[in-house]
Amino acid sequence: MSNISHILKKLSTNERNTWCAGCTNNGILLATKRALADLILQKKVKQKDIVTVCDIGCGAKIFDYLNLSGFYSIHGRILPTALGIKISNPHLTVLAFGGDGGTYGEGVSHLVHNCRYNADITAIINDNQVFALTTGQSTPTTESEFRGPSTPLGTKLEPLNPIVLALESGATFVARGYALDVNHLEELIKKAIEHRGFSFIDVLQPCITFHNVTSYFQKNIYKLEEKKHNPNDFSQALKRAREWNYSFHEQKPVAIGVFYKTEKPLYCKETQVKKPFYRIKRAVDIKKLIREFK
Amino acid sequence: MIKRYMEKTILIGGQAGQGTAQTSWLLGKALTQCGYFVFNYRDYPSLIRGGHNFNVLSISDKPVFSHRGSYDIIVAFDKNTVDIHQRKLKKEGFILTNNPAIKGKNILFCNTKKALDKIQAPAIIGNDVLAGFLFRIFNLPLSPLLNVAKLQFKKEIISTAIKEGYSLQAEKKFGAFNFKKKAKRNYFLSGNEAISQGAIAGGIDVYIAYPMTPATPVLHYLAKKQLKENILVVQLENEIAVANAALGASYAGSATMVGTSGGGLALMGEAMSLQGMSEVPLVVYLSQRTSPSTGVPTYSTQGDLKFALNIGQGEFPRVVIAPGDARDAFWRTQEAFYLSQKYGVLAIIIGDKHLGESNYTFSDLGKPRIKPRKFILEKLPKDYKSYLLTKSGVSPRGVPGMGGVVRATSYEHNEYGNTIENGFWTKKMNDKRMRKLKFLKEEIEKKLEPVEVYGKGKNLFIGWGSSKGAILDALGNLPGWRFLQISYISPFPSQSVKKEIQKSKRVVLVENNVTGLLGDVIAEQTGIIIKDKILKYDARPFIAEDIEERIKN
Repeated sequence: MSNISHILKKLSTNERNTWCAGCTNNGILLATKRALADLILQKKVKQKDIVTVCDIGCGAKIFDYLNLSGFYSIHGRILPTALGIKISNPHLTVLAFGGDGGTYGEGVSHLVHNCRYNADITAIINDNQVFALTTGQSTPTTESEFRGPSTPLGTKLEPLNPIVLALESGATFVARGYALDVNHLEELIKKAIEHRGFSFIDVLQPCITFHNVTSYFQKNIYKLEEKKHNPNDFSQALKRAREWNYSFHEQKPVAIGVFYKTEKPLYCKETQVKKPFYRIKRAVDIKKLIREFK
Repeated sequence: MIKRYMEKTILIGGQAGQGTAQTSWLLGKALTQCGYFVFNYRDYPSLIRGGHNFNVLSISDKPVFSHRGSYDIIVAFDKNTVDIHQRKLKKEGFILTNNPAIKGKNILFCNTKKALDKIQAPAIIGNDVLAGFLFRIFNLPLSPLLNVAKLQFKKEIISTAIKEGYSLQAEKKFGAFNFKKKAKRNYFLSGNEAISQGAIAGGIDVYIAYPMTPATPVLHYLAKKQLKENILVVQLENEIAVANAALGASYAGSATMVGTSGGGLALMGEAMSLQGMSEVPLVVYLSQRTSPSTGVPTYSTQGDLKFALNIGQGEFPRVVIAPGDARDAFWRTQEAFYLSQKYGVLAIIIGDKHLGESNYTFSDLGKPRIKPRKFILEKLPKDYKSYLLTKSGVSPRGVPGMGGVVRATSYEHNEYGNTIENGFWTKKMNDKRMRKLKFLKEEIEKKLEPVEVYGKGKNLFIGWGSSKGAILDALGNLPGWRFLQISYISPFPSQSVKKEIQKSKRVVLVENNVTGLLGDVIAEQTGIIIKDKILKYDARPFIAEDIEERIKN
């Protein structure tokens, strides 16, 4: 057995996979495992130091399929949970898996502020543009005129563009992946983990049951790195981000890859305690504490 | 012969920004340095400049736990103070002011402007001239006041102003104070300071909050101390983020606390339930203000007891602790850390504005009931199970990074923390979580004094939280009454409470709320219904007179 397949095996669990047969979440799971296996092999991260944080929904089931420490959190709250883990132990590699409903709807304030905070965590957002596990309602990234059980007349809202939101909110690594291009997504995840700061990946992911837009993506997706895109240029990044507005009414180019990458001071740089808190042994001097009141 | 105690009460009032709180604190602290007991009550509306702020300082040579309702001196920075409070001035009392516009009988005018001109100080420093002048009137030596001012404010001009004030002479009729400096200094602390230091005493690593009165002073206090104490204090975007980040931090091995008031805790509700399922330790400081909703934000009520007992969907064990004064607050916060980490439970410390922002005096702060510990394994066993079933329901605690797979989850789960939906594990895990309650209750009753009885008598007051002070002070004037303070509301010390009630003739519940929430808890936990209640819900805390009048009439 090669080293990589040995590591891949160690990253896997025997839990029963309950995604629909052919679900594109499998692509994200595979890309994640391969990215982690490669980083482990290169000794860039240690398996014991990887922590996953998951939302609630189909994508969140990845929690059970990765043999890693993790916190199966609540809907929309992956980012504060991940932030808490990171400030508690800066040595950990923290991966937050969310969805478009939780991250761009219920928990959108956390996305905006975590882009500002710039803690060294990676957010991988499975964007299938639909609430799947609750049977197909629209989310903030669903295109207008989409008919779901909560919008039988079709939603009249324009979708939110998460790439633009992340860029404008100050994220230091902004990327878009595609669940059906596993090799490309694997590379993106590796880059995101290696980036020092808050890394954001919006992963386009057709839901084969409730929002199957595979053919549109197959036709319109292109790779930024093949177009000589400069990821250090903020205005170029914004321009690329606005090429497609998450709708399917017209044929538009859909970029995947790294839109933007920069360096900013890390969250709590001045006050962060460098050692993991769990290893700090405190000998509290009660008498001294009390004396302050005398 | 009954020993007669000295007791004086001073009200200091003015507009917001005129420094009433600071002056009051300075005098209070200096008096405790002279061995006196001082209770400092702070009353302020929700505004930054103008309005009417006042403090009440009750001073005695015996312990005093609340403020009185009539005054020996009113220190007035503005005329409004006189208009509002004059009717509560004692017959022999007087008004001290530096405002020449205030005229009338019993006025002692102190020309602070003249003193300030002499030392070229700004008008606000007039407060310190007055403080110095008061120490002269009290007949106390100047040094304790100067020492406190130097340590606290670190400005030479303030010391100079105090000295100027001390050099002034008052007419004889205003000088009937025979304070005497005692050898022993006392401790002077607010509930919020005690909560903050108690958290440090409990081994806190991380404090996370979003500003909300009246819990905010804890955020400020700990933030100021974070570098020295090697802790981390962060303010996040909202209370939802605060609570979830706190659970993340705790899961990764930090002793973590959040602080808020009722509105903030409401936003944290879903995360409180996540605590219940994930069993990740968490300490919450809930500082009640007057509700519902925005209510009366800078005032005090005990209206959130059942909220603390019930917040979070589903059934899970929790600890709810109600400290009655600043000394309680210090030790109970330490205990909250110990219990939450030992049992993997939510520990809510329920206080209020009155407890948090009043200053209390003690001659002795007592001793810890527990030894602070984090209860994290030194090393993970080979086949580590995050939710291992045990007799006590408590699974040995590992944290990520130690080597094995350590999981926390909002979903129902098996011992490894993997998601399940079957009946077998659902029941097993419910039983596991609830088993902790029995062990918690045993340890609390054995070691932590969940109830305390004060005084002697056939009749019994029952109360919780910040009403303690007024009840204790009322006991002195009500022979035949004793007081049962219930500090642990969950798990509820039902046997001890039942026993005290059953051996009493008359039982009266004293609560700073509309319906008598503790009364409902007692009924639920012991089957005893208390109909005799003294309730107060005008957003103001009890004073001893409120209770005395209700018993005597």
